[in-house]
Amino acid sequence: MNFIYMFATITTTLFRDMIKLCSCLQETVWCCRAHLGEHKVMEFFKKTLDPVIALTAIAVLDIFLFLIVGAWTVGGGETMMTGLIAEFFMGEDLKRLPFWNLVFVPDAGYWKIYISLGMLFGAFVGAKLSNEFYLRFPRRVSEWVMITIGGLFMGIGIRLAFVCNVSTFFGLAPQMNMGGYLAVSGIVAGAWVGSMVYKKVLEG
Amino acid sequence: MSEVGESLIAFIFGSIVGLLVQRSRFCNTAALRDAILFSSYRNTKAMLVAMMVLTFGFTLFMTFGEGKPMAFDVGLNTFAGLFIFGVGMVLAGACTVSTWVKAGEGNIGAVWALIFTFVGMFLFSLVWSVNYWPPAPSAMTGQANLQTLQLGFANASTLQDKLGIPAVFFGLIQVGVLYAIYRAILRKEARQTGDQNPALGCSVGTICPPSETAAAE
Repeated sequence: MNFIYMFATITTTLFRDMIKLCSCLQETVWCCRAHLGEHKVMEFFKKTLDPVIALTAIAVLDIFLFLIVGAWTVGGGETMMTGLIAEFFMGEDLKRLPFWNLVFVPDAGYWKIYISLGMLFGAFVGAKLSNEFYLRFPRRVSEWVMITIGGLFMGIGIRLAFVCNVSTFFGLAPQMNMGGYLAVSGIVAGAWVGSMVYKKVLEG
Repeated sequence: MSEVGESLIAFIFGSIVGLLVQRSRFCNTAALRDAILFSSYRNTKAMLVAMMVLTFGFTLFMTFGEGKPMAFDVGLNTFAGLFIFGVGMVLAGACTVSTWVKAGEGNIGAVWALIFTFVGMFLFSLVWSVNYWPPAPSAMTGQANLQTLQLGFANASTLQDKLGIPAVFFGLIQVGVLYAIYRAILRKEARQTGDQNPALGCSVGTICPPSETAAAE
């Protein structure tokens, strides 16, 4: 009986605190908005930023990242996430696939994973502060099909090449790696073929 | 540096990138697709500027042996893989960056694309576990090997070692080439102004809409 009483008290307290915390967070957001409303900072979340400025800033930061851990990349982190998800579902069975022993050994401490999670977080914050966050669903079946095929192709392509589009344009090519030129020619040719298919779908 | 330190730096970097890409609506897919289909270069120009800055920065530090350039063998698989990727990214209407950024904005199509990128990677790991190609990093030699269709490894640093000319010199040549492309685009755009509006693309299969519609929003 005592146990049930304790459990009920803890749950209600937790619940109450959660509500308090939520309203507190909401108030902070309102407060920030009210105070920053006329401020220059808020302008950043109203107007679309010039992509040349955004990409120049990213490039400068990327040079620092290159000096500390390595250039900006996404594909490696995504592969590691695939490995971790597969390990979660398959457990020890995953070890029977040599790829996950020889090429990528699942490791949650791999820094590249956190670039991707950071991008998700940063975009969420940006979208929230500029009132651009809302759930959007592809409307047509053709869109779902194209996204599915496109996603699969991207995953297979990244693993076959060992690089993604980010490493191609913002890593390999600026390091003048021979692979950068192979990869740029590949992605341009692929995008051209893809564009022709896309045009067909657009017209059809 | 410890794993935690590296991950923390990566997370901070990623967050800033996510914020900037979200605010600027930059899309790498659009940089190629819109240039090919709609002769619209908003994203292409940004990509070229970033590549110029990076080429100079990376090769400058590589001249002094600083920085951590990517080091692995490349070959036919690099071309083929990115070709498949290129087709896929236009079909999905998003690349690796925009899938994460658009997922952060609440785009379920982008989340779907991400899930299938993971599925694609897992499917590839099944095939690799049978044919072991392309070679695993531990089996890479840095030399060309025609049997495995590999060309080996070469970048600005290896050029510097071989020819004795500082890496930044080659970097500056590349910056010049990129700038020439950038100038050509500016000239083309100057010719376009005055013309009627370029064709507006509808949003079939797009997570990143064509930039004209994005600008109109």
